[in-house]
Amino acid sequence: MTTAQILVTLGSIVLAALLALLMIPVLVWLERRVCGLIQDRPGPNRTNVFGFRLGGVVQSFADVVKLVTKEEYIPDHIRYGRWIFLLAPMITFASALLAFMVIPFADTVQVDGAALRIQGLPVSYGILWYLAIGSVGILGMVFGGWLSHNKYSLLGALRAAAQMISYELALGLGIISMILTYDTIDFNAMVQWQSGTFWGFIPAWGLFIQPFAAVIIIIALFVETNRAPFSVAEGESEIVAGFFTEYTAMKFAMYFMGEYVAMNTASAVIVTMFLGGYQLPWFSTAALLEHFRTVAGVLLLLVPVVMTLFILWMRRNNRVRLTLSTDGGRGRETRILTGVLIGTTLLIEAILLWLLLEPAGSIGASVAVPLLQIVIFVVKLMLVNLFIILIRWTLPRFRYDQVQVLGWRYLLPAALANLFVTSIIVAGVGS
Amino acid sequence: MIEILETSLFALLALGVLTGGLMILLARRPATHAMGFFIALLSVAGLFALLHQSFLFFAQVLVSVGGVVIVTLIMILTVNLREADLPPEPHQTRWLIGAAVIIAPLSLLLYQTLTTLGDAFPPVSDTFGGTRSLGTLLFHDGVLPFEILSVLLLTAMVGAIIIGKKEQSYDRES
Repeated sequence: MTTAQILVTLGSIVLAALLALLMIPVLVWLERRVCGLIQDRPGPNRTNVFGFRLGGVVQSFADVVKLVTKEEYIPDHIRYGRWIFLLAPMITFASALLAFMVIPFADTVQVDGAALRIQGLPVSYGILWYLAIGSVGILGMVFGGWLSHNKYSLLGALRAAAQMISYELALGLGIISMILTYDTIDFNAMVQWQSGTFWGFIPAWGLFIQPFAAVIIIIALFVETNRAPFSVAEGESEIVAGFFTEYTAMKFAMYFMGEYVAMNTASAVIVTMFLGGYQLPWFSTAALLEHFRTVAGVLLLLVPVVMTLFILWMRRNNRVRLTLSTDGGRGRETRILTGVLIGTTLLIEAILLWLLLEPAGSIGASVAVPLLQIVIFVVKLMLVNLFIILIRWTLPRFRYDQVQVLGWRYLLPAALANLFVTSIIVAGVGS
Repeated sequence: MIEILETSLFALLALGVLTGGLMILLARRPATHAMGFFIALLSVAGLFALLHQSFLFFAQVLVSVGGVVIVTLIMILTVNLREADLPPEPHQTRWLIGAAVIIAPLSLLLYQTLTTLGDAFPPVSDTFGGTRSLGTLLFHDGVLPFEILSVLLLTAMVGAIIIGKKEQSYDRES
């Protein structure tokens, strides 16, 4: 391997790890702010480091510090199996993190004659990996709930396991119909398949080809993330907190972070399978490379407009008390952030200008296109995450038996019927 | 360098399989048994991955680790066996010694087989065990036995449901 290849490989691994781990505080923050928005209150926005609040993201880091410095406490009644009790959250967290590693963030890059995948684990069987590793995470929950020696924890663990089994079927059948449609198990090939259009104007996304399978898989993935409205494994009103009742400090944080990583992974799978992944709609990677100067020109005009709107929005909203006109000397952060954002805009503009002046087919475009695709992927990922969070805070929880009925009586037959129809259509078109 | 890495990985995974097996045999608590089961199955999956058998790896993780272990756990938790519920096992030591004597020649045979069997098979091609080649094999060359097997599995499932079903009031009336 040449130096450039090693750099690209290492870069994609670091990117995958960052996208999985740095997303946790951001998602926690987003969850709280969206929850606040829906419940008509500001949400966390006062914690600061030297006056920097960043809209409240600092609160998530404060929580991390709190959890790390908390006392590691193992309840006295856990007489045996303490090592499994400690190991269980790690299983959940590790499997959630590993499942994220096969998501492609950009199209394959040609570096010194070799096509390199921009994903943490450069394998061609992404969907199988996601299904396999994702199903291990539930074991951590079951072991944790069992070894807590607590009836509520045990009930939560059993519920988690039962729920997983009932929805894994619908999820698997739905994914099989998508595999039949795309004729591949490779996430990257799925995204490439979605780069075309129907009738010239609808992007050929999985969502428009298989809307039925999309609904089934998205519901099943919601259940797999174990969040409301399907959070039967953790019901405050019924079983205290569920399988992690006895967990404290970092052990609890492992479960907590695992849940957010799993949610992020589910969003990434939804983006990759149904929303065209890293593709800009109507622009395949080849088209992007070919018309890169046009794209760069459009971006050159678009970036300042978006940034100006963002700065105006930030200046209006970056206050502790929205009703106060003066904020008691807290305007310093807004001023500095405005400067930083203007500086960033100027930097991006300068890079885009430099790309515009470069001749076509140079090294600049082949570096900039993957970067652009990564940005598109992250934007789509955040939008789907926001959608999942909005669903959580708007819908009421399902009762346990309702969740089971939905899984077995509605989703499973629907997924089977969908698979049947898909196979007939694929066989009919193929022959 | 790569070879040393592969050997040490193999040693780690083999150790995992053995530890898991020993835990299942020797542990006193069902929780430790389950953990041993999990470790053993996961290590076997790792061994498949070490041999570049991607499909076997996924089948192992998906079916054995994700499915079988979960179902076993649910079974252990719902049945909730106590020591008193188990049948008595008198003369445990005598049984152990007797079994060891009977198995000793067999293990010699097993050793012979394992040491010589590797040379009897030709080295496999690169695509061996890949998802695509296995799919072609199952659904193209061997589709009839595969389908018959699936019918057999369906029969077994229906049988299990009928045996496991509680007798309902409407069953008796008719």
